[in-house]
Order: sequence, then structure tokens, then C-alpha cells
Amino acid sequence: MEIYLAQLLNGLVYGMLLFLTAAGLSLIFGLMNVVSLAHGSFFMLGAYIALSVTRQTQNFWLALVLAPVVTVGIGLLMERLFMRPLYRRGHLDQVLLTFGFTFVFFDAVRSFWGSDIRKLAAPDALQGSIEIAGGMFSTYRLFLLALGAGLALILWLVMERSRLGAMVRAGVDDSAMAAGLGANIPALFSGVFGAGVALAALGGVAAGPVLGLYPGMDGDILIPSFIVIVIGGMGSLRGAFVGSLLVGVADAFGKAYVPALSMFLIYLLMAFFLLVRPQGLFGIKGGVAPAGMVVAVGAPFNRPQLARRLAWLALVVLAVFPLFVPDYHRTLVSEIFVFAIFAMSLDLILGYTGLPSFGHAAFFGLGAYVVIVLGSLFGLNGWLGLAVAIPVTAMAAAIIGFFCVRTSGITFLMLTLAFSQLLYSIAFKWRDVTGGSDGIGIASRPSFLGWSLDDPLALYYMTFFFFILSYLGLRRLIASPLGHSLVGIRENESRMRAIGYATGEYKLLAFTIGGTLAGFSGGLYALFNGFVSPEALHWSASGDVLIMAMLGGAGTLVGPVIGAAVFLLMKNLVSSWNDHWMMIIGAVFIACVMFFPGGIWGMLRDRVARVRS
Amino acid sequence: MLEIDRIDTFYGESHILRGLSFQVAQGEVVCLLGRNGAGKTTTLLSIMGYVAPRSGSIRLRGRPIHARPAYEIARSGVGFVPQERGIFPSLSVRENLTVFARTFPGARWTLQRVYEVFPRLRERERNLGFQLSGGEQQMLSIARALMLNPDLLLLDEPSEGLAPMIVHEIIQVMRELKKEGLAILLVEQNLHTALAIADRHHVINKGEIMFTGTSAELEADESVKSRYLAV
Repeated sequence: MEIYLAQLLNGLVYGMLLFLTAAGLSLIFGLMNVVSLAHGSFFMLGAYIALSVTRQTQNFWLALVLAPVVTVGIGLLMERLFMRPLYRRGHLDQVLLTFGFTFVFFDAVRSFWGSDIRKLAAPDALQGSIEIAGGMFSTYRLFLLALGAGLALILWLVMERSRLGAMVRAGVDDSAMAAGLGANIPALFSGVFGAGVALAALGGVAAGPVLGLYPGMDGDILIPSFIVIVIGGMGSLRGAFVGSLLVGVADAFGKAYVPALSMFLIYLLMAFFLLVRPQGLFGIKGGVAPAGMVVAVGAPFNRPQLARRLAWLALVVLAVFPLFVPDYHRTLVSEIFVFAIFAMSLDLILGYTGLPSFGHAAFFGLGAYVVIVLGSLFGLNGWLGLAVAIPVTAMAAAIIGFFCVRTSGITFLMLTLAFSQLLYSIAFKWRDVTGGSDGIGIASRPSFLGWSLDDPLALYYMTFFFFILSYLGLRRLIASPLGHSLVGIRENESRMRAIGYATGEYKLLAFTIGGTLAGFSGGLYALFNGFVSPEALHWSASGDVLIMAMLGGAGTLVGPVIGAAVFLLMKNLVSSWNDHWMMIIGAVFIACVMFFPGGIWGMLRDRVARVRS
Repeated sequence: MLEIDRIDTFYGESHILRGLSFQVAQGEVVCLLGRNGAGKTTTLLSIMGYVAPRSGSIRLRGRPIHARPAYEIARSGVGFVPQERGIFPSLSVRENLTVFARTFPGARWTLQRVYEVFPRLRERERNLGFQLSGGEQQMLSIARALMLNPDLLLLDEPSEGLAPMIVHEIIQVMRELKKEGLAILLVEQNLHTALAIADRHHVINKGEIMFTGTSAELEADESVKSRYLAV
């Protein structure tokens, strides 16, 4: 009995912390259809700023007030300077923009406060524990419960009983109508955004003594908050509250009684809600308006002669390049080839078909795991493993795609995220097979045309060969009638349907082909790396590949290749002379989203076109 | 009150309004008539600032309002009743009325007065927006616009899809508003309703005004009626 009560309490406490993040996320989404991926970053910033304040003043209460104030300042600057100019563009641009900021904030926190796990000291008055009904309960946790409940009550009163709250609700219902009655929607949004940031930062400070502080705590609160708003209903405060407590308690009991399955079950629940009840428990909006969810793509390059010359030049340079450089660079470029295939495979779904997948690493990781697990448990040759990985990932992509392509926009994004996290949770928990969080490796790599892949040069030419093969294959596909149909779906799905295309089947086909190719690249990665851990399936890996494709230029084949190269070169080369590669890549990505929606490749092509004309 | 001078409005590359000009005076009801796609609703959306005209000017009480955001136009005294009514579904009837109201001591329209004119709304005060019937939604939408205490009311097909009894009631209300000196710009498809309340009519076709005249003149002009209005 006592144990149940303790677990219930822990679950409720975690639920309250989730609520503080999810409430803002939900309202911001409700008002502007923007999922702010930077919301977890504000939770983290609040906690770290509080760490500095308490170090200086030894005063937790001061930190609890001051940290949110500073964080709100940062959040409002981001909203005013970066998000506001993008209002007239699609919502996806704003989602991507906030994703770029997660890199910037993560890097800022890591370089300013270091990567060690820190803990915020609970105030002296709340140290120790209290006896209730025969059980001992941490005073601080009880305080968190009261704080969360109190804030929820205040928030509810403001939203339901005040005119300001009614204005926000009216804006959530129909922002255009509200504007036509005199509501200054941009100002209202700034206010809601600021309030959301304040709550998240406050949550971060409050969580400090319980959950600890570490770079990465942003994602660890963001993803469960997504689950909360999916279950509770996006845009609904009541939904955020009930959803938070449900997820919090389910998490606590799940971890205690079905530790192997708890994570899996929660993502399954998320996917279930997205498919069966997309408006959540309390949402009244019928799911999410997919309107305006347009992937920005560049114009086609219509200088075939120049393109052909450039392609030959690149081919020759890449073919002789490894002969003149040390092993380190050979390995680095091999990795770029692998990720270029991965990024191109995403672009078939994202850039060509217009479906914003945030879970593409599921197939990459699955392909890698198949090769490594078969190699390490059954001693299967890597090439045979790769041959098995292809049908396995094809099947997985077909099954996951079957559910995902029924949705679009943010729902699609969330659903792909949920499925990839399902696979992540399996890899993480199924220790006997996958090695859990430690990962798993193979003893030896196979050979390529009789040449051992332990030699970096062999590895280079092997990955180069498959990269060229994938590139040519995709080019062929895109030039085919199927490729044109996919672009047609991206441009105007309802028109395609009206002229007789079964667009759902085309989307599923694109998703399956993209997923299979991602699985293939994952298998190559396994051969390249000889090791795989759950990180390969993690949502942040999906985010990385999304950045590669968008950074280089979605809707083209060359773009993702450039994006993968820039991303990995920055990661490896910038990090050799300073620690800020994430900051730089985040900033470059933000600049791309704001000023060069066609990515680096799009920008280069525009330059060429302008110079020539 | 409202002067529209040669406005051109585009959706992307399609030219919707072509040099449209007309005025609405205080205490006058002006009706825009025309077939679907003629540009009637676009005219209202241009006035409200939802789609900014690419050229020309719109003045309210002599002050230019084109190129202003919708919320400023609403605050400068324009009440908008859109075709789809725009009721906030998760707000109660009372909240729908008060949330953006611009009432002040001595204001012509208060919650009290709105309830006197539309007693049905008082009965449904606590109901949420999505629980209302079509007729109730239309009344609420008009009442909500009146709560802004506007000088000019824009109504987009208020009689569409409503029972004759309710249409009659709405016409009565509009007559009363006109008597109080409110300027009303009405978009109608139903000639009968238009003739019942408007002082002047503009028949629009492909973004241009084809006919201007009083109710009597419109009623007498069979060629205009058959060319631009007959369904």
C-alpha cells in the first residue's frame, strides 16, 4: 500500500512537471498551429539559469522567480525576431526554425555550464520528509504537487474566467474571425508564447532538485510533453492537465511493474490516439489543420550541360580523392556517403512527396540492427545481413507507412515520431538481443570484392559505389511517371485525387521506398561502423537527417547530399578546433529556413541562374 | 461613411475586383448583388483588410483604412458578420458577445440592449457556440458585431439557409439599425430580401459594377435581373 502511494506520488509529481511544459506547448499550438520544438529548451534554460542564481545567492525562491523572467526574455526575442517574420509562410517553417534553436540552446547550455549532471538544491525549508498515513514523503515533492496544482488552478481561472482568457480561446477557435472583431493576434500570440515559456522555465527550476540538470533534459521533457498533448488534445488546457497526470502516473507504475514495456506502451498509446482520436481526449478541433504545411523546395535546375559537367567533375574528384588523403578523411567521407543515401531517402518522402517525417531514423536504425544482430548472434556475413535488412525494413516501412500516410501535416510528423520511438524503446529495452543502451557490435567486417573493409580505402570505395548506385536509382525513379505523380501530390493532393490518382497508395509507395533505402543506408552504416546503439533510432537522429535534407535543399537529390556533407564536416571538423559545432549548424539552419528556403543547393542555383542571365 | 475608390484586388494572379467604386452613407443600406464568384464577398474581405487591395483606396469617415490589419479596421468602427458566421464554438453565447466588445458608458449597444433585441440569445446565454442552431448563430454573429458599437456593419448573406420566419426577424432588426443611423453594407443572393431593406443596389459581375440603382429601378430593370441575377 505504502509503495503504491509512493509511486502514485512520484507519478503525480512528474505529471505536474510535464503539465508545466505541456500547457504552454498546447496553447501555442492551439493559437498558431505551431509546435514549438524549442519548448523543452526553455525548460532546460530555466533550470540552468536557476543553477547560476542559486550559486550566487543561495536563494532557491529568488531563482524560482528570476530564472523564468530571464528565460521569457530570451523566448520573446526568439519569437519577435525569428518566428514573427515567418508568420506568412507555412507552419512547417516555424517548426523547423524552433528545431534549429534547440541546437543553439543545447550548445549554449553545454558550453556555459558544462555537460556534467548537476542538481539544484531544494530550499532548506523543504528538505526532509513528512509522515502521511504511515508513509514518509519527501517535503519537496509534496511542494511540487501543490505548486503544480496551484498553477493549474490559476491558469484555469485566467483562461476560463477572465476576458483575456476568452480572447485566447477565441483566437484558438478562429484566429481570423477574432482579428476581424479587433483582436491583435500577433500581440496575443506573443503573450501566450511568453506565458508558455514562463511555465516551462518554472517547470525546469522546480524539476531541478528532482530530475537533475544535464544537456539533453530538453528532449527528455519535450517528447513526453508531445505525448501529453496528443492524448489530452492539442490546444486544450484541461487536456494538458489530465494528459500530464495520466502520462506521469502511467510512467511511474510502468517503470515499476513492467519496466521492459513501459516506454513501448506509452508510444503505442500516442500512436493509437493519433490514429483513432487525433483530437485527443478534450480537443474540439478535429485533429490538426494540414493547411499551410508545405515543404519549401527549390526550382529544378534547367542547365543540363553545366549539370552534367559538374557531375563528371565531382565523380572524378571523389574517385581519386581518397588516394591522397589520410585514413581519417577517407573514413569521414565514407560516413558522408552513407548519410547522403539516408538523407536522399528521406527527401523522397519529405521533399518530393511533401510528407514531413520526424521518424525516418527508425528505418536507418532497423537496417543497422538487422545487420549487426545477425552478425553478432548468428555470425551471419555482413552482406547477407544487408540482404536480409532490405526486406525487413521494406516490410516495417510498409506497415508504419500504412498508418502514417492516412494523416498529414503535424499529425504525420507526430505519428512518424511515435513509431520511431516505439522501435527505439524496443532497441533500448531488449537487452538480450540489442545490448540495450550499451549497443552491440560485430567482431569482423566482411570484405568488398575480396578487399577487407577494415581497410579505410576499401570502405571508401564500397560506400562510394553504393552512393552512386542509390543516387542513379533515385534519379531514375524521380524522372519516371511515379516520380512526377509524387511531385503532383506534394503540389496539390486533392487535384491529383480528382484526376483519378489513388494518392494514398502513391504516398505509401514513396514512404516504403524511402524507408527501405534508409534501411539499406543503415545496413551500410553497420558495415562501416561495426557497431550500433539505440542512438541510431533516436528521434534526434531523425531530426539530424531532417536538417541534412532541408539544409542542403529538399526536393532535389543533390541538396540532401550537400546537407549531409556540410552537417558531418561541421560535426567532425569544427569540433576539432572548438566545441560549438551544434551552435554553428543550428545558426546556419536557422538562416536557411529564414532566408534560403531552397537550402544551400537552392541558393547556389539561384546565384548561377542570376549570374548567367 | 464608407468610400471605396477604384480598388483592384487579386488572389495570387487572378484579378477579382476590377476598379470597384461605391459609397455607403450614414443611415443607408447598400446591397451588393451578383452571382457566385462575382466578387461580393471579396469586396467585404477587402474592406476588412483580410485581402489588401493592390491599388485604389478605402476610406472610413474620410480616413484611409486600406492596407491596415483587420483588427485595426474592426477597432475603427466596422462590424463584420461573415457568411459562415464565425461563432467561436468553445465560447458561451455570452462570451461570444463580450469577448471583443467595445462598450463604454452611454454606448448605444450593451449586453442588455442586445438581449432585448435578440431575446433568444438571453435564453441561450450559457450555451456554447457549437450548440446553436443556424438561425441562432446568425443572430449571435450580428449581435456580436453590434457589441463593437460600429458605425458601419458588413453583412455577408445573412439570410442564407435560414427559415423565412428568422429572415423576417433579421430584416426587422436591420430596419431598426438603419433608423438609428448605422451604415449597412449587405451582400445578398436573394433578391427578395435585398429589395425589402436596401436603399441602393449595386449589381456586380466579374469584379465590376454593372448596375446601380434604387429598389424600384432594379425591380423595373428586367434585363439586369435576367443577365446578372437569374439563377
